[in-house]
Amino acid sequence: MTVAHSVRRPLGAVILAVAGLFALDALVFRTGFYTRILETESTTGVFERILLREQQAQPWYGRNLVVTLGDSRFAYYPRVANQQTATTGLAFRHAGVAGTDVRAWYYMLRDLDPTRERYRAIVLGVDDYDDEDGAYDIGDDLATLHYTAARLRFSDVIPFTLSFDDRHARWEAFRGSLLKGIVFQRDILAFLSHPQKRLANVARDDGGYEEWTYGYNAPDSNVVGLKIDWSTFTAVIPPGNAELADHINRFILYRPKPQTGKRAAFRRKWFGQLLDRYRGTPTKVVFMRLPRGPIPRPDNLVRKLSSSIREFSSRPGVLLSDEHAFESLETPELFKDGFHLNNAGCARFSVMMAQEVAKLLR
Amino acid sequence: MLFNTTQFFLFLVVVLVLFYTAPRAWRKYILLGASYYFYASWNAKFIALLLTLTAIDYCAGLWLERVAPGPRRKAVLIFSLAANLGFLGFFKYYNFLAANLALALGRPPHSLFLEIVLPLGISFHTFQSMSYVVDVYRGQQPAVRNPVDYALFICFFPQLVAGPIVRARNFFRDLWAWQPPSPDDVARGVFLIALGLTKKMAFADQFAKVANGYFSAVAAHPGALAAWSGVFAFALQIYFDFSGYTDMAIGMAKLLGFHFPINFQRPYLAASVTDFWRRWHISLSSWLRDYLYIPLGGSRGGRWLTYRNLMLTMLLGGLWHGASWNFLIWGGYQGALLSIERALRGGRPLAGDDWDWTYPFRALATFVLALIGWVFFRAADLRQSVQVLAQMFGGSGGHVLLEPWHFGLAALALILAIGEEKWEWFERAIRAPMPVYAAALAVMLFCLEVFGVLDAAIPFIYFQF
Repeated sequence: MTVAHSVRRPLGAVILAVAGLFALDALVFRTGFYTRILETESTTGVFERILLREQQAQPWYGRNLVVTLGDSRFAYYPRVANQQTATTGLAFRHAGVAGTDVRAWYYMLRDLDPTRERYRAIVLGVDDYDDEDGAYDIGDDLATLHYTAARLRFSDVIPFTLSFDDRHARWEAFRGSLLKGIVFQRDILAFLSHPQKRLANVARDDGGYEEWTYGYNAPDSNVVGLKIDWSTFTAVIPPGNAELADHINRFILYRPKPQTGKRAAFRRKWFGQLLDRYRGTPTKVVFMRLPRGPIPRPDNLVRKLSSSIREFSSRPGVLLSDEHAFESLETPELFKDGFHLNNAGCARFSVMMAQEVAKLLR
Repeated sequence: MLFNTTQFFLFLVVVLVLFYTAPRAWRKYILLGASYYFYASWNAKFIALLLTLTAIDYCAGLWLERVAPGPRRKAVLIFSLAANLGFLGFFKYYNFLAANLALALGRPPHSLFLEIVLPLGISFHTFQSMSYVVDVYRGQQPAVRNPVDYALFICFFPQLVAGPIVRARNFFRDLWAWQPPSPDDVARGVFLIALGLTKKMAFADQFAKVANGYFSAVAAHPGALAAWSGVFAFALQIYFDFSGYTDMAIGMAKLLGFHFPINFQRPYLAASVTDFWRRWHISLSSWLRDYLYIPLGGSRGGRWLTYRNLMLTMLLGGLWHGASWNFLIWGGYQGALLSIERALRGGRPLAGDDWDWTYPFRALATFVLALIGWVFFRAADLRQSVQVLAQMFGGSGGHVLLEPWHFGLAALALILAIGEEKWEWFERAIRAPMPVYAAALAVMLFCLEVFGVLDAAIPFIYFQF
């Protein structure tokens, strides 16, 4: 008996088993079967819920629908923006997800607008038009894998993997985009622990997510009393606000770092890919610099080596809002923490944003 | 190079390809080279120790065959055993003895300590080596002439660091009359590797997170529920960890044409402590029986001598695991349980295999007794053992450290164990038509995907012994 003879059956079985594994994974995680019962407050759960909400909302609006995408800093009230419809002629929907970046927005838009003709405009909210490397390397942020896990297709595995620089991040991205159960593991274990509670949460959100989010109001709190001395990189924090102190120290009071160009490359790749998708379509893509914070970093601390976004503005169909359009909102009275507008800030920004977009699209 | 790493699987694939593409005469050299490379990947310095012990026992075997029965022959045996036990004693027990000696002399416990790193797998390969020398002495095993053959017996990588402890006659039977693995061997080998990996990563490591969390901060988890659940988690961790490792070792050996003995047989289904020890770490239990318990007189010298022999065997078995009072107590506890059980049973045969209405109660009682023993096995020291036991039996309330899905996982394991015990589910899956066999593999892979701990390299427990 030869080794080849002995190996034939088990080898065939192993190949069949691997195929079976992919079939099982696809059956559970690529058909939407499991996606429907994801924990509603998990990263993937929130991303999926927002995507579903926006897909369901599309038929309610006409041809002048504008979708906005951004992270948690793109905080506005679509209901307030839509009160301006009579003057702007536009309807706004927000598909932004806290914690996401343009890599996640790309996959969100791909499934939100498969025909590339659903929206009059896509507004992308960014923190700055300059490509300054910030407090952390956004390109290797694996949170994107968790946000977009349910959206990634087999054809995405290689490009998605290669979009990470770090070897470890690449490996995680590879295996997670190939076998989604790995990404959903914690969610599955939580579901198995309390299945009834999960199903009840899902049913609750299925019923009222649109109403709840459309009517959402940000807190009224503000950060009045916050002062920053940029010469010494120290801050005076209003008493009893440890979270604000943490925000400020980690993400704002960092000294300028040597620029690696990674952020510029990341933006070129993903904004470029997103713009390529809409090339030759009637949909306009608008970049918008958001209100940066209660006390933004002064210009002399921002490394202005390049601006991929300004470069993109030369492309047809790409528009840049006025960089200084919302600077009047950058005060401690209108922010609830180091990054996010409070209720009054959101309300004012909603009106200003709608008018700014309308002005650009005119 | 842990068995559950990508690096190890690449290594295994390279070894298999080299092994089967090389001319037959080269194959054992390939295995020997691969085994030393595997060992060196942990700590290359101890290769010298491994070679020294290999050389001593190889020479002892040849010498024993040439010397006529009598005091000289015995002296050779004693020299070989002393060398093995000397190395084992120095590396494993020196600091334990030094600490106790220092305490007896009224000095700080660490005053006589040496910076000793325990060579990986020393307890396993010295026991394997000693059994060879004893077998040659007893005339049950011819001395091995070829040093490469003997070196391979000692360092064969699938079982080098954590067993199973393979007997010389079985290993050399496979080596000297090597046959390519049959289709059944390959199917079984692949199945066992997948099963072992699933046991380790999807079961053991999930329970390890709970057990490690509990035992690293016992005081932070007061109450009986926390203590019982922490110990329960460890009981499942150690079983799935060690039996998973063994399954993989047996599976890899099968792919290379070697047949290792079974090491675990669903021990938590045992309905008595005696039955438990016939199912748990079988290669060590049978080693202790053949080379310690029976030479001590076994059960031939009457009731009290039998109890003494059981106690001594289990005490040494406990000490084999590690140099600490905890392991000694664990061994003593097992010896005492075996003796008590024997005394209660009298001359009646073991009722372990009867699945009558009393079986669930007997099995549960045995499991609880095992849990109590695991406290000593896992706790950092005697003080922590007492602390945990006090919580288990005297603590009030507390929180269950396990999530409901942990119990689901345990229930699934129990169902599979009963299925295998009563209806040989795994055996049937291995022999089933290819689609069924492949489906079983696919389910294991899916379990690994969904339950496997992939981001924390939790070492195999028995690698420390």
